Amino acid sequence: MADEQIKENPVERKHVYSRGAEHKELIEDNPFVDVAAFLFLEDIADKQGAAGMNNYLMSLATSLAKSMPEEKYDTWEQFLEAVRRGESTISTFENIITPTENCIVTTKCPFSRAWSEYTRRIGHFSKIHYDVAEYYNSTVKPGAIDTMCIIHQTFRSASAERIKVGGRPVRYAQIACVSPEGAKKIAPEEWLPILLEKAGITKTEMNMALRNNTCLWILYKG
Amino acid sequence: MLDVALVSLIQDMSEKAGVEGTIQYWTRVGESLAKRMGKEAYIGWPSFNVALREGRTAFSIEGEVSALTDLAITDEDGDVVGYIYALKRCVFQPTTLRIRYSVGELPKADQDVAREYNNSVRDTAVCNFCVIHQKFREEVAGNITVAEQALECMQLANRGFIGETKIAENALKKIGMNPEYVRSLLRNYSCVYALLMRGARLKGEVKDK
Repeated sequence: MADEQIKENPVERKHVYSRGAEHKELIEDNPFVDVAAFLFLEDIADKQGAAGMNNYLMSLATSLAKSMPEEKYDTWEQFLEAVRRGESTISTFENIITPTENCIVTTKCPFSRAWSEYTRRIGHFSKIHYDVAEYYNSTVKPGAIDTMCIIHQTFRSASAERIKVGGRPVRYAQIACVSPEGAKKIAPEEWLPILLEKAGITKTEMNMALRNNTCLWILYKG
Repeated sequence: MLDVALVSLIQDMSEKAGVEGTIQYWTRVGESLAKRMGKEAYIGWPSFNVALREGRTAFSIEGEVSALTDLAITDEDGDVVGYIYALKRCVFQPTTLRIRYSVGELPKADQDVAREYNNSVRDTAVCNFCVIHQKFREEVAGNITVAEQALECMQLANRGFIGETKIAENALKKIGMNPEYVRSLLRNYSCVYALLMRGARLKGEVKDK
């Protein structure tokens, strides 16, 4: 009987390594830790300025990605399934949908709860978070609205570097994002056609996705 | 995600600035968070305890806090000068769980920071986050007045994620409370502290003299 069951259920689930996504849904954020994290970053900015804070944010996001296990998949479909299930490191912290095989849409910013707790309990989000993003946009890559985007985008990039599909590395690129207060940041006009082509969506579809989601990005084979 | 990234930063910072540097950072953040949440005034203990239960005080950011009103703290004249409060779930627990299911294990710096704090400041930390958390409570207490008197917070006991406990026996002696009783509270709560009027002449302190 047991043998028959095994035959009827071949290795369909061989790439499902974790039940982590199920567990994570049960874990609620604690506002204290989130608000304290922002103040911790502000304290660093007080001492080291926007450039120093930017370096810290990029460093912490990179070291977070490096502390997570490397991944390899045989096919893009297997990888995409892991991304959809939140089992790949690159999507472990966010809820996503995948309109095409390369386009990923984050439905809710994983930092939005922290931001709303901050604004509710402390007041206006400190200006330094936007100043550092401006520094990042002008010196690293133009895609951030605030410090949360720097952490998130750097993490995705560092995480993608640790994933191989069919022996080739995965690449990440940011297209657009919308902050919790509604500010929008879209990739430079000259980059957009190439990015949208890789994503397999039009500019109109991009704007439609941004209306009620928070982040639009792509993953592709390097 | 921010909390998991923060723990990664703690590891990074502890390697670069040492665990003492991380403790200094956390202490400053605890002060700054309390300061930015502002001052509060209550006409008496019942109004403060109601505000706490309804999540209106600065302490409410920690989550579900119970005022153990059967455990009143009295001064040498027998007047009520404070109460014992208990936090249902450690503020750091969701982060610990999230790290467990996304990264795998907490970085070494978590316990290194707690150990250094226990050795150099006060033996009451079970994880790195206790450093900011306990400082935050002390500062918030100073920003709240009950019957026009500023409060003081005393850390009494806490329980970590893997069950390790810290019991502040000296503080318990001051308020005349049995350590075994507080230990039994840790079965249902993760952190127990006292809020009392600053400068109150406690029975335990009088006995010491």
